[in-house]
Amino acid sequence: MVKEQEFLMELWTHFPDMLQDLQEHVRNQYVATIPREVLPAVVKHAVKQLGARFVITVATDMRQKTGDYRISYILAFDKQKKFLVLQSAVPPDDMKITSVTPDIPAAGWAEREAFDVMGIVPVGHPDPRRLILPDDFPQGVHPLRREFAYNEIFPQEPNMPPRKPAPEGTTVVPLGPFYPTLEEPAYFRLFLDGERVVGSDYRGFYNHRAVEKLGDSELNYNQIPFVAQQICGICGQVHSCAYAQAVEDACGIETPIRAKYIRSLLLELERIHSHLLWVGLAGHIIGFDTILMQAWRIREPVMWLMERVTGNRKHYSSNLIGGVRFDIDETAAEDIRRVMDKVEQELKAVVDAISIDTTLMARLKGVGILTEEDARAIGVVGPVARGSNVPIDCRVDHPYAAYEYLDVQIQVQDGCDSWARTMVRVLELFESIRLVRKILDDMPGGPVMAKVDHELPSGRIGLCSVEAARGESHHYVLTGDENRPYRWRVRAPTYPNLQAVGVMIMGLELADVPISIGSYDPCFSCTERVETLDVNTKEIRIYTREELEEMCKRKTWEKE
Amino acid sequence: MFKAKLKEAVICFGAGRVTLKYPFEPVKVPPKFRGKIEFDARKCIGCGGCANVCPPRCIVIEDIGEIAKITFYLDRCIQCARCYEVCPEKAIWPTGEFETATPDKSDLRSDMTIWMSTCQRCGRCFETENAIDKFPSKRWRGRGPGEENKHGIFPVKPPIEFVQRMSLVRESEEKI
Repeated sequence: MVKEQEFLMELWTHFPDMLQDLQEHVRNQYVATIPREVLPAVVKHAVKQLGARFVITVATDMRQKTGDYRISYILAFDKQKKFLVLQSAVPPDDMKITSVTPDIPAAGWAEREAFDVMGIVPVGHPDPRRLILPDDFPQGVHPLRREFAYNEIFPQEPNMPPRKPAPEGTTVVPLGPFYPTLEEPAYFRLFLDGERVVGSDYRGFYNHRAVEKLGDSELNYNQIPFVAQQICGICGQVHSCAYAQAVEDACGIETPIRAKYIRSLLLELERIHSHLLWVGLAGHIIGFDTILMQAWRIREPVMWLMERVTGNRKHYSSNLIGGVRFDIDETAAEDIRRVMDKVEQELKAVVDAISIDTTLMARLKGVGILTEEDARAIGVVGPVARGSNVPIDCRVDHPYAAYEYLDVQIQVQDGCDSWARTMVRVLELFESIRLVRKILDDMPGGPVMAKVDHELPSGRIGLCSVEAARGESHHYVLTGDENRPYRWRVRAPTYPNLQAVGVMIMGLELADVPISIGSYDPCFSCTERVETLDVNTKEIRIYTREELEEMCKRKTWEKE
Repeated sequence: MFKAKLKEAVICFGAGRVTLKYPFEPVKVPPKFRGKIEFDARKCIGCGGCANVCPPRCIVIEDIGEIAKITFYLDRCIQCARCYEVCPEKAIWPTGEFETATPDKSDLRSDMTIWMSTCQRCGRCFETENAIDKFPSKRWRGRGPGEENKHGIFPVKPPIEFVQRMSLVRESEEKI
């Protein structure tokens, strides 16, 4: 099996004894158990020499099964269309692994999270601060360990995880923590020298809802798709689809082809309305509300269409393990075709106008540069990566649902700036409309739900990457007993993309920061007040707007 | 620059008025719309299928002696439609109602009480044997071997509420 795959062969020659236990649980997904001493070396070799992309780490509490913890590094070989899971046992009395973050910056957050939720210490991590747990969460409690119930309430502890210290002589401007019109709270601390950003710090996960804990303790296989779709208000179908496909892969359930086509159809329709939403928001961020109004006017018929076809504007509730719950009949197909024609026609007019708009270009071109090297190093996904000339798209690289039958064209731009990311999304809109039509034409007949066995087998690993509008959404499922997963790991596309913010906004002017952060589709906040931190006295002071304006004037004047 | 602005102006004027007069005009929902659920106590056989499949646990069944009390916490409902998909008696169905905003959560809570008879062999409460046979999952016990899974229901470990009421049943069994 190893010899069939060139990249595995090369890994095997470098680490001959390590990959003895290589298994192909699912087609195109390899699982290897290796000692934790060599794990970082293998991961580094795969990423640096073989061109693998780091996806995520999964920390699992396997004490009930094998007596120790487990850390898994998931790597994607996009050219070879393969996934490789490298997993190691971590004994409970010595919970340390060597961090790979100094060499692979993409792993930074994943390893911090592994410590937060499971207590596995990444030794040598350059920034081992708390990532996902709340500030007042007690130290030493790692909630994804099996001894904690999903509804356990812990006493609050008045501690504050250390913030990244601001460089001397800079002003700290907080962006956040909540922005009312976007769906995710995020808190950026920008370190400004005058008007230029010289550094930043991010604190997020304010909205962490512990769905992974619910998934491996309380919910069963067929309840999770409905909880998974609540993870995101925009890409609900993506999450439930990724979860359902991961379980189907792991348990070897054959989904009917018609069900796969229906999943693809709903995913493409979701991409259309999500990209239209983003185009509008981008206009709104830079103060060009005409685009907001027109893009959202075009988007609304798509939402009504989804309401007629699936029963809800946003949460389609279509997926179960083994297929989908409803069929798309001929009247619905006609309805979809009609709406697509209308959207395409109106979209063309809008794109015609905005693609030659010099005001837009002035705000977007050359702003928020993320070079191809940085994009590859940080492992960004989706339109952010494709706007930086990194041609990755899991619809093509790791085909799921019906995408192996559809010829998806990857839209790549080499501008590396906000304008390139905008153009990627606009071109993807037309590509999605083409795909929707193709799906409706090609969709075969037959059942939409497979017969699912009484008990699903336990101890299997399934992975699924689904290309959301924002990028690759990755789900990992380790099946367990009693018809529920033993471990369910979700990695949303904004997770790697947010890590690129620090690089992207470096050297920008403050006014360009919102659209740069906005250009990969997350959220930010307007600054009503500014908090400054005196480096010498550690005194925090809140300034009013008038004081700030006065200070700004003075500072500019002093510089000149 | 001027050309782009002209094109944008044409789009804006061409669109006309698109704002709906909601809430002064009612909005008609499509037939498949998944709105607030309604139920009929006369049709319910107390099989517990809806409580079994409900992802946010907004349907909870308590067995109190010969009474089954079914509580609907609709403030938790995520409109997934699983309950009426699995209901063998169509005792629960969706309405087009979606304006459920309220300052008081208890406005959205309702319950129904059903009289059940007790099975002499297992001590559990059911309406009649025929009614049970209609339901593929046979309450919490799971299907027998070879039975087809029509609704994608997995037999699961019951939630905490069920464990408590099972102990009640066992107590009554011991008394017998």
